[in-house]
Amino acid sequence: MMQPVYISSAAAISPQHSFDAPALLTDVVSSNNGKLYVQDADYTKFINPVAIRRMSRMLKTGISAGMRAVQLAGIDKPDGIITGTGRGSMRDMELFLGDMIRLKEEALNPTYFIQSTYNSINGWLAMQTKCTGYNQTYVHRGHSLEMALLDAQMLLNENSTPQTYLVGSFDEMTEDYFLVKSKAKYWKKNIPNSLQLLQHNDTDGTIGGEGAAFFTITNSAANSICSIAQLQLLQEPTTETVQASINNTLAAEGLQLKDIDLVLCGMSGDARYQPLYTPILQNTTAHTTVAAFKHLCGEYDTATGFALWLATKLFQTQITPQVLIQKKGINPEIRHILLVNHYPQGTATVVLLKQYK
Amino acid sequence: MAEKIVVTSLGIISALGSGANANLHSLLSAQHGLQYPQHLQSIHAPEFLMGEVALSNDELSAQLGLPTGSNGYTRTALLAMMAMQEVLQGIDKDLLQAEGFAYINANTVGGMCSVEDLYPDFVSDKQEGDFLKYLDTLDCAESTQNVVKHFGISPFTATISTACSSSANAIILGVRLIQHGIVKRAICGGCDALSRFTLNGFHSLKNVDKQTCRPFDNSRFGLNLGEAAGYLLLETEQSAKERGAEILAVLAGYGNTNDAYHPTAPSPNGDGAYNTMQLALHKAGLQPQDIQYINAHGTATINNDAAEGKAITRLFENHIPLFSSTKPFTGHTLAAAGSIEAIFSIWALQQQKVWANLYFTTKMEELDILPVQQTTDANLQYVLSNSFGFGGNNVSLIFGKA
Repeated sequence: MMQPVYISSAAAISPQHSFDAPALLTDVVSSNNGKLYVQDADYTKFINPVAIRRMSRMLKTGISAGMRAVQLAGIDKPDGIITGTGRGSMRDMELFLGDMIRLKEEALNPTYFIQSTYNSINGWLAMQTKCTGYNQTYVHRGHSLEMALLDAQMLLNENSTPQTYLVGSFDEMTEDYFLVKSKAKYWKKNIPNSLQLLQHNDTDGTIGGEGAAFFTITNSAANSICSIAQLQLLQEPTTETVQASINNTLAAEGLQLKDIDLVLCGMSGDARYQPLYTPILQNTTAHTTVAAFKHLCGEYDTATGFALWLATKLFQTQITPQVLIQKKGINPEIRHILLVNHYPQGTATVVLLKQYK
Repeated sequence: MAEKIVVTSLGIISALGSGANANLHSLLSAQHGLQYPQHLQSIHAPEFLMGEVALSNDELSAQLGLPTGSNGYTRTALLAMMAMQEVLQGIDKDLLQAEGFAYINANTVGGMCSVEDLYPDFVSDKQEGDFLKYLDTLDCAESTQNVVKHFGISPFTATISTACSSSANAIILGVRLIQHGIVKRAICGGCDALSRFTLNGFHSLKNVDKQTCRPFDNSRFGLNLGEAAGYLLLETEQSAKERGAEILAVLAGYGNTNDAYHPTAPSPNGDGAYNTMQLALHKAGLQPQDIQYINAHGTATINNDAAEGKAITRLFENHIPLFSSTKPFTGHTLAAAGSIEAIFSIWALQQQKVWANLYFTTKMEELDILPVQQTTDANLQYVLSNSFGFGGNNVSLIFGKA
């Protein structure tokens, strides 16, 4: 039986003002074109000015979010760095591929090739923090960040000494990506304003998103924001297996559904996947608030990163912004958050977070 | 918690052939698999020797019982399925499924080998065509998911991408998932198909040799690329004994560290390689003198071999093991390199032989140590296999004689 692990800091660069905004979701960003891009931050605070000139947007956001999480944790360097990404640096890949086709395989710039490598952000974070410890990159679609979290949980259980791992996720949307995936029927045909996305759950498709989120995860409860008490990874999920996973999660912690103060759901407005969340909306009692997040960050492989960051903010502020709420509950505090997320390529995730007091 | 983990089945396809027999035969007879590629469509194909799998996509599809032509499967996935088919022969599928297992795959560029041909259609106004079957094949998990679908299995799945150490990391994850009791068994390894993208990437870095690569040789200039897939079935010694499986080797230890030095170059003194090998020894509870053979990363790039050689010299001091790089046999198969070289290391233990470091003639200026020049008999108890990647991602694995 694995011991729980603790989140001691969180930083996110997202389509919302999540990075250095003074308050949580007071100035909500929306879009009308089916795409939510991140709000740029001042990356020069986190990256060497010479190196930054050649870096793509994905590298800048990923490295900055990672460095900020380390800074917020008040540590010099983590014991290891573990990330998850579904797409890596899409833009670098597109640029190298585009040049290769256009220039007929001659005189290519290696920078795009190097940066397109899925583990390049890990390498940069290791260099910047001088962290020579464990280093890993998961690239498993909707379970990329989840695998990174599981890995950190295993590592922290393998070591009895206090340790802190930097764990994070990053994914980028590009014009090409949006076009390619539109042919695979990912997106809504009639695009609503992003803030209305979840009301349009009677048609197929969603809106595209992106973001980077990093956390420090430790085996020491002191000064932590919350624990990751349970982490369940579901493959080829059905409404029944998601429900069973929620029940198992609660049972493992000796909790009842009414003890969950807030359920954070990954519903994306896509009619094909809405049934996975219907029982949550129906079964939760008057105690529990049901909240959603994909109308704020869009759909992407590692959208759980944004959700997890959001959960840490809810614990810290004890305020649930109206824009998140699907169904308001009466529990006065936010002490237990259940995160339920589905990603279209056959994965779902159930995470139980407990505030540490 | 740290139960002994053993290897009980293998699957491999590389330029040396399809299946264990063909690959082992080539190693034993010192026959390399490098040639000018026949299947890779690149203007550089006539310039660079590569470790290309001889079978075409149609031939691979036919062997897997799939329709030929544009069937929606990338070469990456087809190679993975071929190696997986072989590894699954080593265990009853129902037992595997009933007792819980993981499939941990590793990969560097997903289905780029197909996507690079279809990309103009992907991003054009075109709404119809065979390219639609490949829209979701660019990411690294596509081969993982296609393997799962093809064999009708439902393992715990994950995909790793840490450049050239990817599949060595997949093996480590498998060990840990078993030791934590998350799964009973794990099939771990990696796959990569040759692509213009990768060839041009390494070529733009001036890392590719036009001649056969010459690891640990003073005249080395760069690597030859290759393609392959290789998987290992891992389980506890107890689980292997319960089902009466033959134990091929013991997975004695592993190390994963990061160089934290440069995006593409290793630290010049090999500090990263040193730390990784030392960590693997520590995990295995072994001393440097317990290792008799190192299957080196040995890409034949200027930087790697100098750094790796210096690290070996410093760590093993007066007990330098026999060492060689098998990259001249297969080319550098990137994400698959860790797992196919793990297989070569296991065969070294089983055959009590060390594999030739082909094309070595002249000692490196920077080193005082020499690689094994001919495949020869050796008394081996423990073998160390190195895989080092871009981003400073280093892994060492130690296998012990069964």
